[in-house]
Amino acid sequence: MEMLAFDFMRKALVASVLACAVAPLVGVFVVQRQQSLVGDGIGHIAFAGVGLAFMLGVQPLAGALALVLVGAVALHRLRRSGLSGDLALAMVFYGGVAIGFALVSKSGTGVNSVLGFLFGSALNLTWGQVGAIAALSAAVVAIVWTLYGPLTAIAFDEAAARVGGVPTDGLVLTLTVVVGLVVVGGMYTLGLLLIAAMMVLPVAAAAQLARSYRGTMLLASGIGASSAAVGLLVAYYADQAVSSSILLVAIGCYALAGFVRSMRRRGRATA
Amino acid sequence: MVKDRGAPEKVWEFDQVTFGYGRIPVLREASLALAPGEFVAIVGPNGAGKTTLMRIGLGLLRPSHGTVRLFGQRIDAFRDWGMVGYVPQRAAVASSIPISVSEVVRTGLAGRLGLIGRPDERQRWRIEHVLDVMGITAIRREPLSKLSGGQQQRTLIARALVTEPRLLILDEPTTGVDADARGVLRESLEHLVMIEGVSVAYISHDPEGFFGLADRVVEVRAGRVTALQAPSAPDHHHPHRRAEQER
Repeated sequence: MEMLAFDFMRKALVASVLACAVAPLVGVFVVQRQQSLVGDGIGHIAFAGVGLAFMLGVQPLAGALALVLVGAVALHRLRRSGLSGDLALAMVFYGGVAIGFALVSKSGTGVNSVLGFLFGSALNLTWGQVGAIAALSAAVVAIVWTLYGPLTAIAFDEAAARVGGVPTDGLVLTLTVVVGLVVVGGMYTLGLLLIAAMMVLPVAAAAQLARSYRGTMLLASGIGASSAAVGLLVAYYADQAVSSSILLVAIGCYALAGFVRSMRRRGRATA
Repeated sequence: MVKDRGAPEKVWEFDQVTFGYGRIPVLREASLALAPGEFVAIVGPNGAGKTTLMRIGLGLLRPSHGTVRLFGQRIDAFRDWGMVGYVPQRAAVASSIPISVSEVVRTGLAGRLGLIGRPDERQRWRIEHVLDVMGITAIRREPLSKLSGGQQQRTLIARALVTEPRLLILDEPTTGVDADARGVLRESLEHLVMIEGVSVAYISHDPEGFFGLADRVVEVRAGRVTALQAPSAPDHHHPHRRAEQER
């Protein structure tokens, strides 16, 4: 394949496929808990982390990671304090943007320098950054694999899980932290504003075709990875932005899954 | 009546429980107790406090006054939650993502397994057993959302039974369930009470579901719990009670 002759395309492919395959693994729990926008909220906190990194002159990834961990705990506390889920999200949404913008302005680097973090810059990666994305992805897979049972229990029915002795509070916090890892892992490829969509779109597509929770998770991960590969191909040949191409392919997958489902239903009705 | 040494007198006990949402009182000095192997139906009009009573009894809400005990232990010190099976209203567990019957049943083991445990041979056998008892083995791979109301309800009961609980708490189990499925549900509950000796608290406004099964019916009205019916005559088909009478 011609595009793989370029080193920057190979890096973009590896990083995008990893980020987009891992996001739906967490998305199945988030969507089931009706918290599809939590990734967006965490993304805004990560933006504040990027601003902080600019101020301190450290790696943006380190700043984003530090702030999402703090933000995940803050979001969890806000929810537990009785603030409704969407109000708590709104607080971190707007708070994150405000703090991030203030810090970036203060750092004197200019607003244009953060556009790559907001919308992704998959074609400008170093192998070091690809390694960091791989490490974050591995951490997410390890946590989801280890905690799959209790996470499924709290996603499906939190009250029953709590009655059954599952430590729901700690698991909800862990889930929010893992969302943060996904967001930071996707920061360089799809960007902080768009990576959260990959936690939702592939899951919505897979849910139309799968028959089990595990099946939905694996199919969604496959759809995420395929969307990344096809999206990159489209971006290369159509000279488009990588992140938007990947998301548009994922939306196409959702529409295709809906079509396949309706054909299946029609087939069953006529059988 | 002969009892095991050390066995609790009551499996679920509310003593003078008071609770309100803000300034709105819901329960006032409510008292209720379930004996081992007893089937108690809890009835009352909508908004009377039935579900609140149940949520307090499960530790999901904290009463402002009074105490709740499970198997003789205060609820805040109670840890063996595998002894309690909880079947919520079906509407509370609507799933936007497909989840199969066996996956739902398996989530019931999550508390027992801890964070990183996997089911052992005995627990895998138990999953098969409850699927069989509830008559849902044939549909174990079907997504829950594709099933009838009765099949969904039996799946949720199977989930509650997978830890071999001694107390089963059902919240409006027949809501949205057709007549045939109600019959199957009754048979399943009969099996649990008669054969497995499980205590049952059955919260419902629909007497058809527990008629002939319940030892006692209590009503929650205006925040208080009152007995509607004296305990029924001893059931000669009940193996536990039959054994007691023979002694």
